Amino acid sequence: MSRPESTATLVAQRRERDEVVRGLRRAAPRSAVVRGSVVVGVLAIVAVWLFAPFALVEVTLSGEAAGVRLGESLRDTFDPQRGDNLARFITRIAPRPEQGQTVWGWLLQLLSEKGLRAVATTLAVALAAAGIAALIALPAAFAAARNVSTPDPFGLGGPRPIGMTARLRWQLQVSVARISLAVLRALPEYLLAFVLVVLGPGAWPAVLALALHNGGILGRLGAEVTENVDAGPARFVRAAGAGRWNTTWFVVLPQVFPRFLLFFFYRLESCVRESVVLGMLGVGTLGYLIQNDARARLRYDEMIVYLVLAGVLVVVGDVVSSTVRRRLRAG
Amino acid sequence: MSSSVGVVPHGVPRAGGHGPVVRRRRPSAVTVVMAIAAATLVSAWWLELDPAKLFAVSDGAGRLVGEVLGAAWSPALFYESPATDLPADIEPLLVRVIAAVGRTLMYAVGAVSLVLVVGLGLGFLCSRAWWERDRFDMGRRSVRGRAMPVVHAAARLISAAMRSTHELLWAVLVLVAVGLTPFAAVCALAIPHAGTLAKVFAELVDEAPRDVAAQLRAAGATGLQRFVFGLLPRARADLVAYGFYRFECIVRGAAVLGFFGIETVGKYVRDAFENGHYHEMWTYIDALLVVVLALDAWSGAVRRRIA
Repeated sequence: MSRPESTATLVAQRRERDEVVRGLRRAAPRSAVVRGSVVVGVLAIVAVWLFAPFALVEVTLSGEAAGVRLGESLRDTFDPQRGDNLARFITRIAPRPEQGQTVWGWLLQLLSEKGLRAVATTLAVALAAAGIAALIALPAAFAAARNVSTPDPFGLGGPRPIGMTARLRWQLQVSVARISLAVLRALPEYLLAFVLVVLGPGAWPAVLALALHNGGILGRLGAEVTENVDAGPARFVRAAGAGRWNTTWFVVLPQVFPRFLLFFFYRLESCVRESVVLGMLGVGTLGYLIQNDARARLRYDEMIVYLVLAGVLVVVGDVVSSTVRRRLRAG
Repeated sequence: MSSSVGVVPHGVPRAGGHGPVVRRRRPSAVTVVMAIAAATLVSAWWLELDPAKLFAVSDGAGRLVGEVLGAAWSPALFYESPATDLPADIEPLLVRVIAAVGRTLMYAVGAVSLVLVVGLGLGFLCSRAWWERDRFDMGRRSVRGRAMPVVHAAARLISAAMRSTHELLWAVLVLVAVGLTPFAAVCALAIPHAGTLAKVFAELVDEAPRDVAAQLRAAGATGLQRFVFGLLPRARADLVAYGFYRFECIVRGAAVLGFFGIETVGKYVRDAFENGHYHEMWTYIDALLVVVLALDAWSGAVRRRIA
């Protein structure tokens, strides 16, 4: 084979390959929504770093200060005076035991007098909230699942046609359930707890806020799982004459239950994190010790101890929860 | 992970599962439910939760509860204070509400951009997929091969430390250490979310199908090329879904950070509450609600098109 021929073949092959690639590109699905979202996202990020209160640069177009310089908040954050603050803070996080007390003795006293109690309260708030959230989510999940909340659950069909009113009524129920769950989910726990403080002292504001928010999340996830369930067993039982309730509770629930449990432990983990923080609103979790006890008395050494304790608690919760979830999945 | 789930929990099982199924004795459903119920009851006892207290609406406190919560359905459109008590040049309430929500979104966008940079970088170091030596690497001892375990472990540790502390605690820490400037607030908000994103990103990439990566490997691609062109596209849909979920969390976090001094929704909610302007308070909360719900709808639209 002569050289020019082989070059020509190579060029032809390459051209053919390029054509294939171009064809694949053309065939790839593209959507204006996705592209628009990317553009909006990038523009928003750029705009924010230029114009938000925390902007990186400050552009002055006119006057004698015209030009580009570091953003005001950035300059402020790295101001030498704040550096002094930081230095003072660092000297004050060193443990300051009482006269004649070792550091370990001080630590033990902190933990035994306040720390352990706060840890127990933190866990209790998380557990109580997760329990109530599960109670909210269970019925809500079925109410929001489109294959359960319909005139003809699990699509069995039947001799009688389904009336318009029945269809609308169930559609309405699904919408109401979905919107309520979305609203619960959308409100931040801390904000909810802040408003619920009107319930008076005690743990109710924190527990209820956590329970409502997580009830919204669990309900949504539960509805999602229920809609994806294999309808075979449910149809079988329905055909044998079982009603909506019996089918849902005795056929569908056992099918989706393992997934529900996984979600429960997943949310429990985040409840522990949030429960710590809600202490800042008055309930006696670790957040209370951090914000309203140690910080209020300017005892930054104690504050750091509680912060580390909270971090350890969250990590332990994380490990326990993921172990439980792995076992549930494996079984 | 089904892409239609708005709230994507990490570590939640995928259909089919990976690896050999290890059969262990699993506690029965009844046992688990009983255990959860018992834990809930013990917790309620420890916290002295009294259901009766929740429904006692007859006394004075109950009336306050009704007043505050009832205002949710009638948010204020104008300031509740008489016009004579207001500064003459004050902007209309609704303008103020929109500005507060807008600023909340600004903080969230700023934080999410930091989260993406730090979280994806750290997640890359946390993932096994890139570090793992396959059969082609056998017997080769490179500097990279030796440094890997150390860098990998360090990255995981850093990510765990970042996410083990809540953003509000980071904010308090920053507040007492240097003061909560807007820039410091964005950083505090970004820290735990970046740690979480790193973890989830690493998990998603590690669990993504390796088919394309293996093909690229056979064609002689480098580790980085395999990662970028082989693994990332396979995990894309899950990554986008999770990214949106993180953004929603960050918006909520930015709103709450207002309670600690920056000028987002939380600050205005606290001010209105302290002044007893409950209807105004709900205007801010309802506006936040609308924005979060709109974000939810938007992310749903994008996710449906990507999956």
